[in-house]
Amino acid sequence: MKKINWKKLKETDWKKAAKDFWYGKPHGERRLGDLYLPKTGLYKHREWRGVKDTLYYFNKIWLYNYGQMVMDIMKFGGPVIFAKGLWRYRWMGQTYLPVLHWFDRGLEGLRGEALRASAWHYRAMTCVTIQQFMAMFRADANLHGGQHNEAWKHSIAHKETVWGGIFYPWWGEYQNIPLEMIPYFVTCHVNNHTVLNYIDAVQSIGLPGDPCPMCQAEAGLFVLDDMPDYAPFVITSNEACDGSVASTAIQDWFLNKPLFAMPQPMQFDDPLVQEHCANEIREVWKFIEEQTGTPFSWDKLKEHLERQNELMRFEWEKWDVAANTSSYPINGVAQALYRIYQSQYGDNFIWHDTDKRVRKILEKCVAQKIDTFPKTRHRVIAWSCAPLYFSNWCTWAYNCWGLNTIINMDSLMFNMTIRTDNLDDCVMDMARYHEWAPMRRMAVGGMHHIFELWENMERFHCDMVMMYDQLQCKGMQGVHGLFEDEFRARNIHAIWMPHALPDKRTVSRSEIRTIINDYMTTVMQEEPLDPSLLDFDDSESW
Amino acid sequence: MRDLKHLIFFENLLQEANNDLVKQARNEGKKALGYTCYFMPEVLLDLPGCFSVRLRAPRSASPDMATYYMSGRTCHYGRSLMERALEGGFNFLDAQMATETCTVTCRFQEHLQRMDIIQNPDFFCEFTDVPFKKTENSVVHFRKQLQAHVLDKLHEKFGIDVSDEAMMTAIEEHNEVCRLITEIGSYRKLDVPTITGYEFHVIQLVSLVCPKYLILPYLRETAEELRTREPDRKPTWRVKVALSGAENDDPDFTKLIESCGALVVADRYCYGSLPGREEIAVAEGQPPLDAIARHYLETSMCPRFMPQDLMRGRKKYLADIVREYKADGLIVASNKFCEYWSYERTMDALILPRDYGIPTCSIEKEYVNSASGQLRTRFQAFIESVEIKKIQEGAKK
Repeated sequence: MKKINWKKLKETDWKKAAKDFWYGKPHGERRLGDLYLPKTGLYKHREWRGVKDTLYYFNKIWLYNYGQMVMDIMKFGGPVIFAKGLWRYRWMGQTYLPVLHWFDRGLEGLRGEALRASAWHYRAMTCVTIQQFMAMFRADANLHGGQHNEAWKHSIAHKETVWGGIFYPWWGEYQNIPLEMIPYFVTCHVNNHTVLNYIDAVQSIGLPGDPCPMCQAEAGLFVLDDMPDYAPFVITSNEACDGSVASTAIQDWFLNKPLFAMPQPMQFDDPLVQEHCANEIREVWKFIEEQTGTPFSWDKLKEHLERQNELMRFEWEKWDVAANTSSYPINGVAQALYRIYQSQYGDNFIWHDTDKRVRKILEKCVAQKIDTFPKTRHRVIAWSCAPLYFSNWCTWAYNCWGLNTIINMDSLMFNMTIRTDNLDDCVMDMARYHEWAPMRRMAVGGMHHIFELWENMERFHCDMVMMYDQLQCKGMQGVHGLFEDEFRARNIHAIWMPHALPDKRTVSRSEIRTIINDYMTTVMQEEPLDPSLLDFDDSESW
Repeated sequence: MRDLKHLIFFENLLQEANNDLVKQARNEGKKALGYTCYFMPEVLLDLPGCFSVRLRAPRSASPDMATYYMSGRTCHYGRSLMERALEGGFNFLDAQMATETCTVTCRFQEHLQRMDIIQNPDFFCEFTDVPFKKTENSVVHFRKQLQAHVLDKLHEKFGIDVSDEAMMTAIEEHNEVCRLITEIGSYRKLDVPTITGYEFHVIQLVSLVCPKYLILPYLRETAEELRTREPDRKPTWRVKVALSGAENDDPDFTKLIESCGALVVADRYCYGSLPGREEIAVAEGQPPLDAIARHYLETSMCPRFMPQDLMRGRKKYLADIVREYKADGLIVASNKFCEYWSYERTMDALILPRDYGIPTCSIEKEYVNSASGQLRTRFQAFIESVEIKKIQEGAKK
């Protein structure tokens, strides 16, 4: 039997211990890094966040979301088709069960309202993800003995960079499902090992290693035949870059289905390009009518654009709180992922449910002036494209260094509402909306867009830049030196974060942490809030 | 074969972007207009009073300053142009007529816009938006863009005559260049060609980088010379190949292939003549700008085009070229960090042997081919494999 350490018991500050038990240890004493099992990123035991928040996490996040993950499966197609998909597709089999670990990584260390609001964003993303893969599986000829069922006939496949709003006129009759949103994009976040296989696959047929790894992974899905066959035709787009255009050719070769390309102009500031872009949208509608035999519905388009406008208006309110107060209850990763997902995917009931819940929390925080991230030392703006395998870096950076990511570049895309009073104006606005897509709004059409960083720094009252350095993004690499010049000239603290979007082998999570640590100790001369988080091995973690 | 009379002169013109003919034209008061991509119609930059120069950075070494600005992970061609601009090699330009048609050349041109690089007080850089399709919507869009960002700008800044008559004059001159280059290139289709790939590459390049009215007399004379040129009694090549791929303004690359024993008989790459040297046809009553916009969209075989029929049609076009020019194989070369051609090359290397039975060699190269030893080994191995295939086919027959 283990001996009782009387000396330790005698020295214990019981008042403080009781306080820590009730409220959780204060930031600075937590030593969150000690919770990890070496290499795995798994916890030895879960974080004690105080009675209230621990119970909330267990009940309303962990248990609730596991429950919802089962309920959603039942609601959107049932366990049989789900099990078939889980067995057939590698990206599915490897990512469904680690979902709650993805929650844990993003929400680590959060307390109070920040924990609650951020978690609702995660719940919404999980629900939309389940809706999509279940829709894929219900229609998938691969899972139905090669048969094209009614669901297959009523699905529309499109590149993930085609905005879901394009398909509103067929809402309810045809379901649009992005090709790569789940198999590639969501997968990277949940389990960073999965996509490596697809990158290797496309390189195995001769593609060099230097093109954008996102496009490589997306093409690799087709090389390995790991893409459901769920729709009779495909819509593509030139967004976001050359790699996306080029990889479409490979995808087309494997898909071998009728394909409509809906490109957007590059020089989108030019008023002359708008009509061309609007005509492309009209052309894609014609194509869908021809393929489906179902006419375009202005009423449906209008209805769902108005619902989407509601989402945008709330997003502006959120930005206003984020920019001007310290009561913004959403952490950097939840803000970034929810916004990009919601605005790219388009209208869905879960976004509205989530926004209602988050509004309540937001209003409470503002009314009671709750300091949601009290250990903020620097207000950070994150610019360019984030590492998908380490999107939760901002959670780590806040816990370790007090770097609070207020806003990021991709959240600022699609920054508009769409007129619905008449079709002509509406299409012109849709054209503009599509031109302002993620990875594109700031990246093409002139360097002045990428340098909108300065005005957004000012707008969101940020004093530091986390400059994502996607090593294989030609657009961002091509402007590297001018950023260096500007940072020096403006005397701005900027940390360059090298990464390769989905490919953790190029720059690991650990190397990213080291780069930030080095900057914070050598340039900023600061001490970590939680030294246990400085260095740990999570190389085998999901 | 007897040496071409003007070959050395042509080679010398390729040693500098600001070559003797460019200097002469500028001394005559003409405006020098730079561009990088086929999507910027050179014929519009060759209106009376100005001339086009497709930018190259010959004799480039390590682009150190450009690497600071554009990092070491972007296409060497774009960086070499940037380096040359920073060195002052493009100060002769009066304007850069830019297109955002591939990311890195776009970034290079944006640097020209943003930084005070070109030491010419009148210099400006203007972007034209280029569509990704060849539909009527795209043609109308492209025509409007060319009007606003090329013609209106040239008229506004330099007082260039942009009337239909002036455009017809430029088209006539352009078409003569195209006729001559096509004629010169047609000798590559012979069983025993009377021009080498290297010679043709040099001639095609000078037609892109020199003022048309100054290079035309030399092209006429060269075409005349080739009409009676006799081939070598014993061919110096072992196989004939078509060369396809990304930006290639380096005749020494063609020379390298030929030194390994493969005669380059077709040039389907950026800066090549297939496509690029087709005449512009203006129908009766058709505005010349409309004909120009259509011509450049319809003739282009750029991997930037996204519609399904065009993506697939590019493979057939390439196979047709190989057959028309009686090539035994195909070399597809992409520049490192070129996104478009990385994918296109990968697919060509899979599809052309499988669907068209064309032996294909897939190469990744730099703008400056310092790795010529490795490339030589690759080419030699490919040529041997094609030879073996030919021997085996002969034995079967």
